[in-house]
Amino acid sequence: MRSKYIFIGIAVLLTVMISGCTGGDKIKTLIITGQGSDQLIWMTRSTAVMNILDNAGIFSTKLINTPPEGEDMSGFKPSFKKYDLVVIDYDGDPWPEKTVAALEEFVKAGGGVVRIQSVSSPGSPEPPSVTRTEKNDFEVRMQPVEHPVISGLPARWMHPGDVIIKGVPLSDESLVVLATAATPRRRGESSNPEPVILAKEEGKGRVFWTLLGTPDLEENKSLKCAGFIVTLQRGAEWAATGKVTQEVPFDFPTAADAVLRSDYAQLTPDEAYVLLSAYDVGKSTLPYLWLQSEIRKAAGNAETLMKLEKKMVGILESSEATLESKKLVMKELSWMGTDYCVPAITKLGSDERLKDDVDFALERLGVVK
Amino acid sequence: MYSKTSRRDFVRRAAAAAAGIFVVPSVIPSTALGMGGRLAPSDRVVMGAIGTGSQGMSNMNDFLRLNNMVQFVAVCDVDSKRLLAAKTRVDTVNKNSDCRTYGDFREFLAQEKLDAVSLALPDHWHGIIYTEAVNHKLNVYGEKPICRTIKDGQTIVAAVKKNNIIWQTGCWQRSQAHFRKGAELVINGRIGKIKSIEVGLPDGGRGIGTPPVMEVPPELNWEMWLGPAPKVPYRGVVHWNWRWILDYSGGQMTDWAGHHIDIANWGAGLEYTGPVEVSGSGVYPPEGIYNAPVEYDFLCKYENGIEMRVANSSRLEKGMGTTWYGDLGWIHTDRGNILTASDPKILEEVIGENEIHLYKSENHWQNFVDSVRTGNQPIAPIEPAYRSISVGLLGEIAMMTGETIRWDPVKEEIIGNPRASRLLSRPYRKPWELPTV
Repeated sequence: MRSKYIFIGIAVLLTVMISGCTGGDKIKTLIITGQGSDQLIWMTRSTAVMNILDNAGIFSTKLINTPPEGEDMSGFKPSFKKYDLVVIDYDGDPWPEKTVAALEEFVKAGGGVVRIQSVSSPGSPEPPSVTRTEKNDFEVRMQPVEHPVISGLPARWMHPGDVIIKGVPLSDESLVVLATAATPRRRGESSNPEPVILAKEEGKGRVFWTLLGTPDLEENKSLKCAGFIVTLQRGAEWAATGKVTQEVPFDFPTAADAVLRSDYAQLTPDEAYVLLSAYDVGKSTLPYLWLQSEIRKAAGNAETLMKLEKKMVGILESSEATLESKKLVMKELSWMGTDYCVPAITKLGSDERLKDDVDFALERLGVVK
Repeated sequence: MYSKTSRRDFVRRAAAAAAGIFVVPSVIPSTALGMGGRLAPSDRVVMGAIGTGSQGMSNMNDFLRLNNMVQFVAVCDVDSKRLLAAKTRVDTVNKNSDCRTYGDFREFLAQEKLDAVSLALPDHWHGIIYTEAVNHKLNVYGEKPICRTIKDGQTIVAAVKKNNIIWQTGCWQRSQAHFRKGAELVINGRIGKIKSIEVGLPDGGRGIGTPPVMEVPPELNWEMWLGPAPKVPYRGVVHWNWRWILDYSGGQMTDWAGHHIDIANWGAGLEYTGPVEVSGSGVYPPEGIYNAPVEYDFLCKYENGIEMRVANSSRLEKGMGTTWYGDLGWIHTDRGNILTASDPKILEEVIGENEIHLYKSENHWQNFVDSVRTGNQPIAPIEPAYRSISVGLLGEIAMMTGETIRWDPVKEEIIGNPRASRLLSRPYRKPWELPTV
């Protein structure tokens, strides 16, 4: 157990050092952590949050710890002004009044704050009205409001292994509820939708607040959920800049199913291509969705489409690519392909297992009737 | 056995009955033809059914409820259990054991001499079976959406026109009073000039991942079920749930386009035309064999300036149903007798004698049978059904390609986009071909 702590500690330290080296035009971000219900658990989340923000490629992060629980907090007064964004991943002893006031001033002057769960502001205790449901898979519903954080995202998505925090006081009228969630209906339990993602503008600054992302010592599905990751990345950018420039990723979860990112990172194009070549419908259909989204993104751009077509023909010509990958590549080429792909498709016609797919593609491409 | 009574006989009889009255109204009321009472067996419409699953049985039951106006004599399905259930139902009503059964629609069409056929099949079969039934000069009650691709739809429309048969589409909302009332108020300008329309259709549901390949149940002819669709191993997804897979259907969107877009078009006078521009985006499930979009949101622009937004209901303030927005107000209608307006007084408006009166039918199945007997046009003919699903299918193409699709609603072709144009049809797996008209 002890070595686990040390390992995580070193990991955190290394990441801080690495991300501290990069800077440039990135959003200067201070992540504050240091207390939570269980040290190992909160450290898991802090590490995840830093990974998630680093993976977005637009933040330069620094992580600091408050003094441990029960110890003197009077010396805790980070210089918020040096940052564009302060991420509060903290649930513990009240901060000194001056620090809280400085944070408020930071926002009013145009700074951004992200609150991860933290049901009360760092200066005050948790309100007695707050309760937490058991861990569950549930659906998050985006509200029909125009907001940069949720613009273009699915209206409904599955979120795994998380709790819903109920009874959070939301008296502040400037708070905009961006998403709600309800526990799956159970006997004797109310399933009224609770706000889970919120945003507000304050002075010249902004606060993004997610109530999702409960860490655990097991699979941490709620943190690996692409929906949690992407809304956090978008919310953080919005809090810091008032805009969201990140594009909607192809793997955002939907009402059909949750999507987990094993290391908090999205598949790179190279990784996706390798997975596509090895396509096996029984394992994962995600690489196919990736291909389709790449084609859509390239819409109207002949040059990018040709680059894609060449990659796809590469799969048709590969002796290692699976039959299934060749089938789905031909299905897409059947409508978006050019003369370039025809010889590679025609050649596969001699393979009895691919004959139907070759006929399909060549007919749609107008090569044969 | 019941002798075949052709539509011409019915028309002749209808004319004879109508001769006693001074005017032949556009819709001859059934009472004028003595249709209200029980009919002698020889006067009944002789019918068969191809596709006897949930919707097929539901339609057959609706026909059987029509006070003995219809006599079913043959049924066809690729699932022998469902086929037997349909035969049993028919035999019980007919009090005999004569209902003939077929596992292959080609034999059904070659051997049966019928007045009409009820068709309820997965969408990927519509192009072939609808066209073949019409080419056999059968009157057809066909389920919406009438086609999986625009090319399939164009072929079916051409076949219906050429063979001059009675076609009723299963968009039964037209035969409900509140939908008609809403559409009639709109087409008569009670909310002013129509500016925009919102059509809310169901969200997609949960996925099932990819189930393992399994043995085909002995009652199912899987090869025949797939027919023109790509050959895939059986994974237990067949009846009902085929509609979440793009090889067979376009999901909730295309399933419901034939209802709420149809009503939208009816009220806005867009029944016989289509949009000139379509753009939008869809949300596709990341994992599993269900690949139809679970969310969708596209905008269709019409020549006359009307804009129609079609989206899954969670994205729309008014949710499910059709909402017309005019310069004087709005009207919203949905299932469950929902008809609301920006000002409730709009709904109390009376349509004057010289205004537009939309076709009135109180029972969609009865209306078909009446039309078969009189030769009059039913309430849901083929072209409006083709036009409503075309909107959905063009939306599907816009979402798949990520492009703004320009459409010529007269020539019925995509303008200046060869890639998107290829998506207007789907090649059929050999030996299946789209029949010629």
